[in-house]
Amino acid sequence: MRCSGDCGDCVCYNTGVSFRSIKMTNQTTNNKFDAIVIGGGHNGLVNAAYLARAGKKTVVLERRHVVGGAAVTEEIFPGFKFSVCSYVVSLLRPEIIRDLDLPRHGLEILPLDGTFTPMPSGDYLWRVNDHGKTRREIARHSRVDAEAYEEFGKAMLQMCKFVKPILSMTPPNPTTLKPSELMKLLFLGRRFKDLPEDDKYNQVQLMTMSAIDFLDQWFETDVLKATMSASGIIGTFLGVRSPGTAYVLLHHYMGEIDGAFRSWGFARGGTGAISNAIADAAREAGAEIRTKAGIAKILVKSGKAIGVVLENGDEIFGNVISSSVDPKLTFLKMLDRNQLPDEFVSSVEHYKFRGSSAKVNLALDSLPDFTCLPGRGEHLRGAISISPSVDYMERAYDDAKYGEYSKRPYIDMVIPSLTDPSVAPPGKHVMSCFVQYAPYHLASGNWDEKKEAFGDTVIDTLSQYAPNIKNIIVGRQVVTPLDLEREWGLTEGNIFQGELSLEQLFFLRPVPGWAQYRTPIKNLYMCGSATHPGGGIMGAPGRIAALEILKDWKA
Amino acid sequence: MSGERGNVIIIGGGHNGLVASFYMARAGFKPIVLEARPMVGGMAVTEEVWPGFRCPTLAHTGGPIRAEIVRDMALERHGLRMTQPKARVTSVSPDGGSVTVYDDPAKTAQHLAAVSARDGKSFTEFQSILNRLGKIFAQLAGNTPPDIDSPSKDDLFRGVSTGRMIRKLGKQDLYRLLRWAPMPIADLMDECFDSDLLKGALAARAIFGSGVGPRSPGTSNLLLLRCADDLNVAGSASFPIGGTGALTQAMAQATTAAGTTIRTNAEVAGITIKDGRVTGVRLTTGEEIAASAVISNADPVRTLLNLVDPVHLTPTFLQHVQQYRSSGVVAKINLAVDGLPKFPALEKREDRDVLYPGRIHVGPSMNYVERAFDFSKYGEFSREPYMDVMVPTVSDPSLAPSGKHIMSVYVQFAPYALRTGDWKTRAGEFADCAIKTLSAYVPDLPNRILHQQVITPAEIESTYGSTGGHIFHGELTLEQFFTMRPLLGYARYRTPIKGLYMCGSGTHPGAGLTGRSGENAAREIVKDLR
Repeated sequence: MRCSGDCGDCVCYNTGVSFRSIKMTNQTTNNKFDAIVIGGGHNGLVNAAYLARAGKKTVVLERRHVVGGAAVTEEIFPGFKFSVCSYVVSLLRPEIIRDLDLPRHGLEILPLDGTFTPMPSGDYLWRVNDHGKTRREIARHSRVDAEAYEEFGKAMLQMCKFVKPILSMTPPNPTTLKPSELMKLLFLGRRFKDLPEDDKYNQVQLMTMSAIDFLDQWFETDVLKATMSASGIIGTFLGVRSPGTAYVLLHHYMGEIDGAFRSWGFARGGTGAISNAIADAAREAGAEIRTKAGIAKILVKSGKAIGVVLENGDEIFGNVISSSVDPKLTFLKMLDRNQLPDEFVSSVEHYKFRGSSAKVNLALDSLPDFTCLPGRGEHLRGAISISPSVDYMERAYDDAKYGEYSKRPYIDMVIPSLTDPSVAPPGKHVMSCFVQYAPYHLASGNWDEKKEAFGDTVIDTLSQYAPNIKNIIVGRQVVTPLDLEREWGLTEGNIFQGELSLEQLFFLRPVPGWAQYRTPIKNLYMCGSATHPGGGIMGAPGRIAALEILKDWKA
Repeated sequence: MSGERGNVIIIGGGHNGLVASFYMARAGFKPIVLEARPMVGGMAVTEEVWPGFRCPTLAHTGGPIRAEIVRDMALERHGLRMTQPKARVTSVSPDGGSVTVYDDPAKTAQHLAAVSARDGKSFTEFQSILNRLGKIFAQLAGNTPPDIDSPSKDDLFRGVSTGRMIRKLGKQDLYRLLRWAPMPIADLMDECFDSDLLKGALAARAIFGSGVGPRSPGTSNLLLLRCADDLNVAGSASFPIGGTGALTQAMAQATTAAGTTIRTNAEVAGITIKDGRVTGVRLTTGEEIAASAVISNADPVRTLLNLVDPVHLTPTFLQHVQQYRSSGVVAKINLAVDGLPKFPALEKREDRDVLYPGRIHVGPSMNYVERAFDFSKYGEFSREPYMDVMVPTVSDPSLAPSGKHIMSVYVQFAPYALRTGDWKTRAGEFADCAIKTLSAYVPDLPNRILHQQVITPAEIESTYGSTGGHIFHGELTLEQFFTMRPLLGYARYRTPIKGLYMCGSGTHPGAGLTGRSGENAAREIVKDLR
């Protein structure tokens, strides 16, 4: 097994190599593989790593010059390295970290401590991982809420424990009578039945309610609810009052680092470092990774996928094609409609993307100075959230509903250079601003025209809380939903490769009847965020898809 | 047998209370219905608001009431005469455009095809899907939700039978059901239709009475649920001669004939409980009536928080009841008008005479309806509300003096909790706003108005007794639906107190004037009491 990287120990490491694949490797040239993975985002890489570890000769084909997809670090301005798209990590499945031994491949997660919410009134809310401190801080706003906060944390932990196994399972097929599928459904039913009554009640509410209606039952402090509800809308085209957002809240609450629930962190070197570590693990297991290898077509012969044609015309053949790009690209661009059942094509066409977020990455000369808590303090080391009230959040959504970007958007900021100085020149900083709502579909004009005006809106919004911001910006990169689509292949700029709405979750993700990573074309699989359990730097779709592919291989 | 065990009391003489009392009486019990107001009927009443004008004060169409109930109660023998207008709903635009959903789907498809070829075709398909899925919902609506913790044999049997029915749907419809239910109605409509007027009207049916907009997830489920009782996608336009009150009057006669005693002007102040068991009720007059069972047709919050002393309930249960969402968003305006107000959009149509007896929908696009909803999120009533209009005097001229008409208008959104001021001080401003909006569609309306009655959510609460002024006794959102209505673990018409039951719209299935909650509740209660 040849390794394209320069690690020396890959052969002995790869103990799972079967005799058959070694033989194949020796016989074939560099355009024939056991498995071809389309797209070198984190899921594609995870998928490839698992396949390679099972002894399959695997190649990852990435259109861009760099792997990582939306989990990528790029030097946009000299000396300033940005996690251009996704910027924090928490959901990365512990079994993947373990199986792929990612820390050995350079993964290091630095803690992101706290969420700081400045308020226009001059006050602020600053929650940190230290229980006592957070309790005192919340009590400053409401004593009742300080009590409830502890209880809330405990209840959410129970809910996370309930949902967690679902993140690692292949969704059942609810339409078949196959015993194995029925067992899965029964397993879910039993788990629910066995929950204590209170948890059952909470679980039902979480699956159906809006983030605010849910939080209203626990808290009275407006700013606390606003900031907490923000996790319920990230990446969705819903408002904090839209039913179903409580689930997304849970989805983000499930973050886990070193076994600690709810912790979020930075990867040293930016989110690209995560992708690099996974890529490294994949290479070590024997996978080959090719960049600047965009795919034009998937080759199909008598209903079976047999290979791909690159944009440069090269043909590469494989026994299995695993696509980590979204369903629209996979089925409507890389395949011809007439190769697929009509019903399936129409399901793919109905699959909703509707990106709603953008990024503004800033290179800073010094640190922002917040009026409500001046100076360089610990509060800058965590997340900084512009979510001063529930109404503010909801009004931001109202703008988007009618095709405009929010006049006053929700912004989630981090300054990773404070924790990881390697990403900026000495004394300088990078600041990552995740902005919502920036609807892909604008009612008038287009994103290329509106890009800089949108950037100005974000900076204007920030300057209301940190007036010095305008003077310290030395570089500004605006990444619009259209940019996400064009540069990162995320259709309609959806960061999760499709909305995490109830009708697109679990056995309905990405489309009804095809939630088990397989497709109507034999040997063609899906392994990206568009499959269960969805987006975020989680890696679960890539891993579960690999396990399913290997299951079919054995059969 | 009921004689030995004492009385069965039904609190509230709304349609569900009357239906429940009928089935209890038929099973051999001697129910007593206690109604606080001078007349039974709850929100389905006809009242003489001005001399000679008899208005369907709140509900202006019959749900439609379930056919089995009409048959069992022999409502026609008791004087009920329903009319079914040929046009269910006509959606109008201010510029004179209109789209109609007729009683006959084939006619609707033909009419829509003239508006958009795609809509004509999709309508037939959409309606046929609803016919299939609606049956599943009808089955669910007619069943008592299963006991999740320890399903009984009956539960399992019903589960299997529903399961079979679902399986018969086939894979495609099953996935449709799973996918559609949680979807926002706006997305579903966009997938199916082009016409804004049509989409506006259908989306409105889904969100009617609920604090959600067309873009809120789960609203498609509401449309499906409503199709359990009326497969026509646009909803009912059936109207009882004599107004909706005529329906409940017929029910009152039927249940009295079956052996029920009805007492009006009898307001219940509290439910008396001893050792965790119901002993009867206490009226506001101080009179106590003993009973072996009490069935409340009042909403869950009123029943469990106002009528029951909290010492009888656990703190967790009380907390869950407090969290039950029941904040109304609908107000009603009744107008007495001189002559029939003319909608230019209807006047343009050749079949205008067929259109006037149906409902008229004001809310020409989904965005319009969504914007109307936006106001309510911030505790404001809509500046341009969506409205469901009916002119009942077209079907039944006897409701008003000769040459005069009644215009019955549901106005949404009018949130119960206003952020500034209160409904008492702002009702006039609200009505002006609604009438001004309506005038864009009926320009001659303002000059014809003789009288107006505004029933705000605050009055729906104070006069008709529904907490938060909610016309459905609580939001019909996914978390308050089926096994969760009103609360998870208490969806089977029983409460933690022995002998206390619920039978109103706050219990499964709950939506509108169908009588299903009352019928289901009676079935379960009879089982317990025997």
